[in-house]
Amino acid sequence: MTRRSLQLVNRLGLHARAASRLVRTAAGFESAVWLERDGRRVNAKSIMGVLMLAAPLGSELTLECDGPDAEEAAEAIEALVRDRFGEDQ
Amino acid sequence: MILALSGTGVSDGVALGRLHKLSHRELDLPEYHVEDEEIERQVRRLEAASAACESALAAMEAGLPDEARGAAAEMLQVHRLMLRDDTLIGESVRRVRTDGINAEWALDRQAASMRSALERSEDAYLALRSEDLDQIVQLLQRELAQSGAAALAERIPAGLEGTVVLARSLSPAEVAILHQRRVAGVITEHGGTWSHSAILARAYGIPTVMAVKRALRVLREGEWVILDSHYGAVLATEDDGLHGHYGEKVRQLARRSARQARALAVPDRTLDGERFRLFGNAEHAPELTRCVEHGAVGIGLMRTEFLFTETLLPDEETQYQALRTAQAALDGRPLTVRTLDAGGDKLPEALARFDGPNPALGLRGIRLSLALPELFDVQLRAILRASAHGPVRILLPMLTRLDELERARERIAECAEALREEGVSVDPDVQIGGMIETPAAAWMAERFAARLDFLSIGTNDLVQYVLAVDRQDERVSHLFDPSCRAVIELIGRVVRGAAVHQRPVQVCGEMAGDPRMVPVLFGLGVREFSMPPGQLAAVKSRLIRLDAARARREVADDLAVSDSDSVAALCRQLDPGSD
Repeated sequence: MTRRSLQLVNRLGLHARAASRLVRTAAGFESAVWLERDGRRVNAKSIMGVLMLAAPLGSELTLECDGPDAEEAAEAIEALVRDRFGEDQ
Repeated sequence: MILALSGTGVSDGVALGRLHKLSHRELDLPEYHVEDEEIERQVRRLEAASAACESALAAMEAGLPDEARGAAAEMLQVHRLMLRDDTLIGESVRRVRTDGINAEWALDRQAASMRSALERSEDAYLALRSEDLDQIVQLLQRELAQSGAAALAERIPAGLEGTVVLARSLSPAEVAILHQRRVAGVITEHGGTWSHSAILARAYGIPTVMAVKRALRVLREGEWVILDSHYGAVLATEDDGLHGHYGEKVRQLARRSARQARALAVPDRTLDGERFRLFGNAEHAPELTRCVEHGAVGIGLMRTEFLFTETLLPDEETQYQALRTAQAALDGRPLTVRTLDAGGDKLPEALARFDGPNPALGLRGIRLSLALPELFDVQLRAILRASAHGPVRILLPMLTRLDELERARERIAECAEALREEGVSVDPDVQIGGMIETPAAAWMAERFAARLDFLSIGTNDLVQYVLAVDRQDERVSHLFDPSCRAVIELIGRVVRGAAVHQRPVQVCGEMAGDPRMVPVLFGLGVREFSMPPGQLAAVKSRLIRLDAARARREVADDLAVSDSDSVAALCRQLDPGSD
C-alpha cells in the first residue's frame, strides 16, 4: 500500500473537469485508490465521491493506493495533480 | 382565441410550430424484497442497465455535430462517469445484497442518500449537481423498466423537424437528440437557467422556455404554438396575423444569429491581426452565463453593490457564496470583483448614515471602505476565499491618492495572512487592479500602474468628473459627452502611463460597449473592453473589421492637429461601415 500527501496547485481545485480527469486516470489501474481530505475519505474512481470532496486550491489531500500497481497509480495521479490537470493557467 | 402561458426563457429566440408532447410515463418504481439467486439477478440487471445507458451516451457523444462538440461532449462525459460511478452503481449493488431488495428500489434509496448529501453541501456548484444525478437515475430507471430497449431515444420519435417540443423535463442528452431532429423550440415544465439541458439548448441556439407550469395539461397535441423566450412566453393560437408576425420575426432572428455566430467563430483579432480581449460586466448568474456564451474571455466588472441593498450588511459567507455562484457560471474564466462602490447615488440603506451633502464628491468607493475597515475586511475575506476556487481579480473603485492604494493593499495582505493562519487556502497571486475614474487617478496613471497589476478605466465617472457634469441634471446633461476631446486625451495618457510598466488597461464604462467609440479607444492603445453581454457581439463584429494600423494613425493625427471639442468626426471616419 502506498500513501502520499498531495497539494492541489491548479487554480480551480477539484471541479467537474479536473475531477473527471482524476477519476479516469484512477480507473486505469487495478489498485483501489482513495482520497482523503479533512477526515473525509472517498473512492477516487468515483466521480460523485471526488466531487463531494469539494476540494479547493491549496487543499491538502492524502492519496492511498492499494493493489498490484499501487506505485504506478500513485505516480500517475501525483503527476496529474502536479501538472494542474492540464488546466491552462 | 389566444392562450398564454409563462415560464423562464433560458435560451433566446422565437419559434413557431406545431406542438409535440414527449410522453412521460410515470415510472412505477417496483419495490420488493428478494432472496438468494434472485439477488444476483437483480445485481446483473443494475450492471446491465448502467452499461447500456453508458454505451448509448458514448454513441451519442461520437455522433455530436462539430458546432456543439465542446460544451455537449463535456457534459455527456460527466454523465457517463456518473453512470459507471462506484458511489452510485457500486453502492446500489451493495444495497441489493445487504438489504435484499430489487434493483429499482436499491437505486432509488442510494440516489436519495446522495441527493441529500449534495444538497447539504454549502458549495453552490455542488448543490446544482443533484440535478445531474436525478437525470442519470431517471435514465437508469427507464432502462430498468423496459429491460433492453434503447431508453435514451425511446420517447423521442423521428419526424420532429419544425415542431415545438413539450416535455416535463429533459436531460442534456435528450436536448442533443432534439437538436439533431431540428426542432423549432423546446418547452419544459421543470428546469431553469442553470440546468445542464438549458446550457446545452443555448449552445445549440434552440429557443427554449422552461418552468412552464401545467403546460402538459393545458396545451393540446398538434396545435400551433408561438414561443418567445425573451419574454418567457408560450402562446397557443390559430390567429393568422400573429403567425405572420412571428414567422417574420423567426426569419429575422435566424439571419441575425447566423451573422453573430460567424463573428463568434472568428478569433479576437482585428482585420490586420492585432489581438483584443472582450470581457463582460455582470453580477447575476444568467447574465454571467450570457457573457460566456457571447464570447467574453472573463468578467471585467462584477459590481458588488447588489449584495448590500438590504438593511442588514451581508456577512462573509453570503458574499462568498455569491462569488462562488458566479465562478460556477464562468468555469475557470477570470472574475474581476469590484469592492463596494457605495456612495453617490447608490448608498445602501444600511450605510445611509454616511450620506453627505454632495455624494459624488463625498465618502464613496475606496474612501468608504477605508473608513470602515471592518466592513472592508469582510468583503476582502470573501473575495480571497473565492480565489482558491478560480482566478479572481480585485478591483478598487474611486482611487485618487496613492496612499489609498497602499492602505487597501495592506488590508488585502492582512486578510490573506489571517486566512492562511486559519488554514483557509488563498490564491497567492490574486491580482489587484484600480479603477481609473477620477481625473487625479488618470493624471497619475503611470505612478498607479507601478503599484497595480491592471488598470480599469471607468468612463462614466471619468466623464462626469473631467467635465464636471452631472448627467442626472437635465439642464447640463447635453454636456455629458464621452467623445469630448479632454476625456479622449486623458484616456490616451492613462494608456501610455500603464504601458511604461507593461500593465494591461481595460475600459469598462459604457464607452467600451459603444461600437462607434471602440475604434477610437483601440487607436489610443486600449486592447481590453468590458461591457454588458448584450453589447459583446456588436463590439466584436466592429473590431474584427477594424484596420488597427489605420486607426492608430488617424487617432494620432487627429489628436495632434484637430481643434474640435469632440472626436465625433474621428468616430465617423473610423467607422468601417455596417455589415
